[in-house]
Amino acid sequence: MFLLEFGRVLKFAGQSFLRNFWLSVATITIVILALFSVSSVLIFNFMTGHVLSVVEAKTDVYIDLTGEASEEQAAVLVDELKKLSAVKEVEFINPEATLENFRQRHQDNPLIIQSLDALETNPFLGSLRLNVYKIEDFPVILAELSKKEYSQFLDIEDKEFTDSKILVQGISEYSAKIQRAGLFVSLLFVLISILVVFNTIQVGIYTHREEIGIMKLVGASNSFIRSPFLIEGIVYSFISIIILTAILFPVLAFLQPYVDGFFKEYSTSLVSLMTRNIFKVVGVQLLVAVVITVASSYIAVRKYLKV
Amino acid sequence: MIKFHQVSKYYKPDTVALNKVSLEIKPGEFVSIVGQSGTGKTTVIRLLIAEEKPSEGRIMIGGWDITDIKEREVPYLRRQIGVVFQDFKLLKKKTVFENVAFALETCGAPSGKIEHIVPQVIKIVGLEGKEGRYPYQLSGGEQQRVVIARSLVHKPKLLVADEPTGNLDSINAREIIDLLKKINDLGTTVILVTHDRDVVNSLKRRVITLDQGEIISDQSKGRYVL
Repeated sequence: MFLLEFGRVLKFAGQSFLRNFWLSVATITIVILALFSVSSVLIFNFMTGHVLSVVEAKTDVYIDLTGEASEEQAAVLVDELKKLSAVKEVEFINPEATLENFRQRHQDNPLIIQSLDALETNPFLGSLRLNVYKIEDFPVILAELSKKEYSQFLDIEDKEFTDSKILVQGISEYSAKIQRAGLFVSLLFVLISILVVFNTIQVGIYTHREEIGIMKLVGASNSFIRSPFLIEGIVYSFISIIILTAILFPVLAFLQPYVDGFFKEYSTSLVSLMTRNIFKVVGVQLLVAVVITVASSYIAVRKYLKV
Repeated sequence: MIKFHQVSKYYKPDTVALNKVSLEIKPGEFVSIVGQSGTGKTTVIRLLIAEEKPSEGRIMIGGWDITDIKEREVPYLRRQIGVVFQDFKLLKKKTVFENVAFALETCGAPSGKIEHIVPQVIKIVGLEGKEGRYPYQLSGGEQQRVVIARSLVHKPKLLVADEPTGNLDSINAREIIDLLKKINDLGTTVILVTHDRDVVNSLKRRVITLDQGEIISDQSKGRYVL
């Protein structure tokens, strides 16, 4: 009995889809546009995530050693720091390399460079270059390094530390802001998409209102009337996703040069980004499309079932 | 078969569609309900198919008290009553065959039974060869025949026709009334709501006359008296 009824529901959904072909095409087009905006936001979020991870990976913090630290003690310190789970990489930089790094990082500040040139000897005693997995962990690690057992060997109160701290905080805040803005834009786009698709399906079902009334008058149950519309909503979703996925790859390839020009060395291949995240993208598309189309159909049909 | 006991129907704010109407229709009868527009004829039909509920009184159909019928029971009631409307109410995107078959499909009838019954009723109403046509490809009379065929597929004990000839010319109207008589002769109770004087007078069957929501006349072999 269930299979018979389900088979008929599928048949009616198919008939309705084909016999209202242009209405189906219009609805699918709107669903595709809505999903396109959702997918664009998703890809934008993946791209910013990629850029931030590149920035994080490139962010090193240099901590100068004090006069009390010998090279042997520095090697012990490096081993100790490597044991911290948040630390990705630690490297001892000898005094000459430290001086060279310092010059490079302050090449835009002529006062510092002149002061350095005025000195006849190398003022640096070597430094440690720190790189971590997560940029948010930097302040915690630097706080750890401020403890007594390390502080006598590390000059962590100097400007280098402060600069690093400001940089780290700046990047963390920037990252959080981008994520907040991304979330806000995503929600806005999803909301607009929901409203547009909802209205399109409402209009579509409005054209069936008389038919729904007749079905009720000849003894069709509410579920028997409603089910084909819900199935049609799911069919719209699947067709939209297939078409959109086919369109999305060439569009991304077309946009690649512009994205490269904007993000420069932080850029990445949009197609490979999409390919890596294909299940996430299709999953979100499927969820958004099915929920919107089925919920819209359900609400719209309910209005005309009261006969 | 049908019992109305002191049935009233009020619409807000102060319209009285039916006022304490009591009537009984026996199995196999052919009853015409007549009256001018707005006298409550269509309200009787709407109450019979549970499109409306009475404000007061009780309604019984074949021993089933439908006065407070539940929403989920309504489809089962409607499958047992054949209904013919003035404006046909056909599914425009379905063919003649599909329109008739739909009434059986809704109640889960097996495909074999549908294939067997639908051509039979289409033949009864004289539409063989037009099974594949859509409603817009048929004349008014033919569309009304499809509606009658649809109402017959359940082999209902009761057929209700609300102004079935209202949109038809006299020849088609005559044919539809003859068809209803034929269905009645086969044992189905028929309730015909109309204000077509000629149709009522030619039938020479029971006539119930409504005026301002009340029964003013009930004659076993009546005429149109208004």
